[in-house]
Amino acid sequence: MNHFRNLLLAVSLLCAPFAHAGEITIAAAADLKFAMSEIVTRFKGLHPTEKVEVIYGSSGKFHTQIQQGAPYDLYFSADVEFPRELAKAGLAASEVTPYAFGRIVLWRATLDASRMTLESLVAPSIHHIAIANPKHAPYGKRAEEALRASGLWERLEPKLVYGENIAHAAQFVQTGNAQVGIIALALAVNPELSGPGGYWLIPDTLHKPLEQGFIITRRAENNPLAKRFAEYLSSQSARAVMTRYGFVLSGETSDAAGKP
Amino acid sequence: MLTENDWQALWLTVRLAGIVTLILLLIGTPIAWWLARTKRRWKGAIGAVVALPLVLPPSVLGFYLLLAMGPNGPVGKFTQMLGGTLLPFSFWGLVVASVFYSLPFMVQPLQSAFEAVGDRPLEVAATLRASPLDAFFSVAVPLAAPGFLTASILTFAHTVGEFGVVLMIGGNLPGVTRVASVQIYDHVEALEYMQAHRLSAVMLVFSFFVLLALYAWRPNPKKER
Amino acid sequence: MEEGIEACFRFDWPGFSLDVDLQLPGRGITALFGHSGSGKTTLLRAIAGLERTAHGRLVFSGEIWQDQNRWVPTHKRPIGYVFQEASLFPHLTVMGNLSYGMKRNAAARSINLEHAIELLGIGHLLDRTPDRLSGGERQRVGIARALAVSPRLLLMDEPLAALDLKRRQEILPYLERLHGELEIPLLYVSHSPDEVARLADHLVVMEEGRALASGTLVEILSRLDLPIRLGEDTGVVVEAVVAERDRMWHLVRVAFPGGSLWVREQGSKVGDRVRVRVLARDVSIALESHADSSIVNTLPATVSAIRDESHPALCLVRLEAGGTPLLARLTRRSASALKLTPGCTVWAQIKAVALLA
Repeated sequence: MNHFRNLLLAVSLLCAPFAHAGEITIAAAADLKFAMSEIVTRFKGLHPTEKVEVIYGSSGKFHTQIQQGAPYDLYFSADVEFPRELAKAGLAASEVTPYAFGRIVLWRATLDASRMTLESLVAPSIHHIAIANPKHAPYGKRAEEALRASGLWERLEPKLVYGENIAHAAQFVQTGNAQVGIIALALAVNPELSGPGGYWLIPDTLHKPLEQGFIITRRAENNPLAKRFAEYLSSQSARAVMTRYGFVLSGETSDAAGKP
Repeated sequence: MLTENDWQALWLTVRLAGIVTLILLLIGTPIAWWLARTKRRWKGAIGAVVALPLVLPPSVLGFYLLLAMGPNGPVGKFTQMLGGTLLPFSFWGLVVASVFYSLPFMVQPLQSAFEAVGDRPLEVAATLRASPLDAFFSVAVPLAAPGFLTASILTFAHTVGEFGVVLMIGGNLPGVTRVASVQIYDHVEALEYMQAHRLSAVMLVFSFFVLLALYAWRPNPKKER
Repeated sequence: MEEGIEACFRFDWPGFSLDVDLQLPGRGITALFGHSGSGKTTLLRAIAGLERTAHGRLVFSGEIWQDQNRWVPTHKRPIGYVFQEASLFPHLTVMGNLSYGMKRNAAARSINLEHAIELLGIGHLLDRTPDRLSGGERQRVGIARALAVSPRLLLMDEPLAALDLKRRQEILPYLERLHGELEIPLLYVSHSPDEVARLADHLVVMEEGRALASGTLVEILSRLDLPIRLGEDTGVVVEAVVAERDRMWHLVRVAFPGGSLWVREQGSKVGDRVRVRVLARDVSIALESHADSSIVNTLPATVSAIRDESHPALCLVRLEAGGTPLLARLTRRSASALKLTPGCTVWAQIKAVALLA
């Protein structure tokens, strides 16, 4: 009898963390890699008992996965269109919230790219240019648009190699297999990637705006932690982090997006 | 039905698998022969290395290959010395990666086929004046023929089914590194489910018939000797 | 020594060792005889170069095949080898098997192939694959295949051991023909006293990796000091010539230096050279000749040695009949009653004689 009671006690102890504290899983676009980690760290500082998991990947893939019932409570997409589609399909528990605009940059790993322009990509010393796959990655689409807008697409297309998402494109550059990449500013400003190289901001006039948006998924409808995290994103503290990583916040959007 | 890009991806896949199978026949046969015949202590270690791709996640292999074939990696330095080009994002890069990736699928069936041949036929050949090389081609290879067929089919099929490594080092270039598995993945990612369905169906049918051929061809054990 | 084979091997494996130093004749059949595990097959494989010993010296007709500095690999040794199981190549036809070695040996002459096919009676099997041959046919093809490479030394590792009695009887005549026609030395591994008595000219007795004795068959079989544990098979072999035929009683008289014996006829003609085997248990000893006995074969002989057998009731007596040695197994009581000592003259009464060939 005593053993049984002990066993019950042990089981209830094991279950305890799940039973009490809140828990959310966030699916976040790869460009948020560094910014989101910092925001989550700060959030946890305020709510030490809550459990927040973040998974980074391509916005398109998350979109498909959520349609198929993936266990994500919040979905941060690099392209606001993806969450809008989900909301239309009744898969969202919140309004679609545009939170920032992303920017793309030219980036190299070992050399300073700050003096480069898109034209310099034509140079024969550049064999490969890594971009995210334009077919499904928002940053890849914008990179393609920028190259087309500057009339370089035909000449540069043979040099392009396509990463799964911008993180993968950055990895091609970091390993030296591609000389240059077009990646998210949010990644390039991170000290881990910036290193000795520098980046060159591609004018946002050359591509459609990279409007980012998030939703709380239907799964998290009754999860108060999901709502609390969503609210936290509009806090001063969170916005400061986003700005530091090169995101133009939605409050100031008209200005950034409409710049000539 | 299938788009031009789909056909291109399929043809690329078949070409890749065919070339990899041929190369592995050349590389894998001596390795399998050595593993089947040697009594050295090295045998275990070499056998384990050959089997590594069976257990390693493709991402591990892809990651190391990307580093090794890059400009600062040993393979990259070597290829640059030879011709100045690097292997990632190229068809031959995929070939090299697939050779590593599919190595156990060639070596292991061949090794067991050679082991099944045993010492005796080779001893007989030696007493009939056949040099070891001669005996290999005139006795061991014909006796191990079913093993060669199994190994080739498995290698071909496994290379066709390759995905992770290709994705990591291929750069997704149409006609160069975008094989069928990657093409399907792209269709799915881009929400083109219909396209994905069609190409997937082709792969499914292909795989089934490869395996059917493999199992149907397997000789009846009763008939053997 | 130009002719013959000098074979000297020494090595230790866990649980098994080989230590021999032999001079073998350059003609005729030499049987390597011993129980399983005595090292006879290993010795044969070492001579073929299939087993490489650390310490070894092998000289064939003056050519060094192995010593400290030299190693001739198997495929460069002019040998033919018949394995215990025929070990035919399953992917080739009988003809493909036969011509495999011939094609690879510039010195091979097709006459040897034709002769081998004829000798072993396999002309009707040439197009078959090995899986459609009986065990006996397979072994005949195996022997023909070894002959077809025109070897200068033929090695056979118990070629009959894997066959049942019927198949063995089917092949033995072919081997006996081979014995008559072969001009090259043949080393024949066997654990069967019957095969040895029928085929061998020279005998090497192996035990635990060592050669206990090596000499002519007649000499070795009649030695008393060798612990050849043949038991019931102890006996001598006598080389003789058919001298006379008795058609009415179906007997032939075979003559040898010490006399002659009547044996059942088995198709041999007058003048044929034959072998007869006389087992020790079939020889009894009398001090006088008895004309009224059913035993027709009695020979005058001299006792040359007596040795106790492992069973305390028995002893083995060696007799000389005009230069031909015989062995007789008696109880020690009989030997004592007859007061047998070396030098006694006696009558050897031979109950049964087997004509071997």
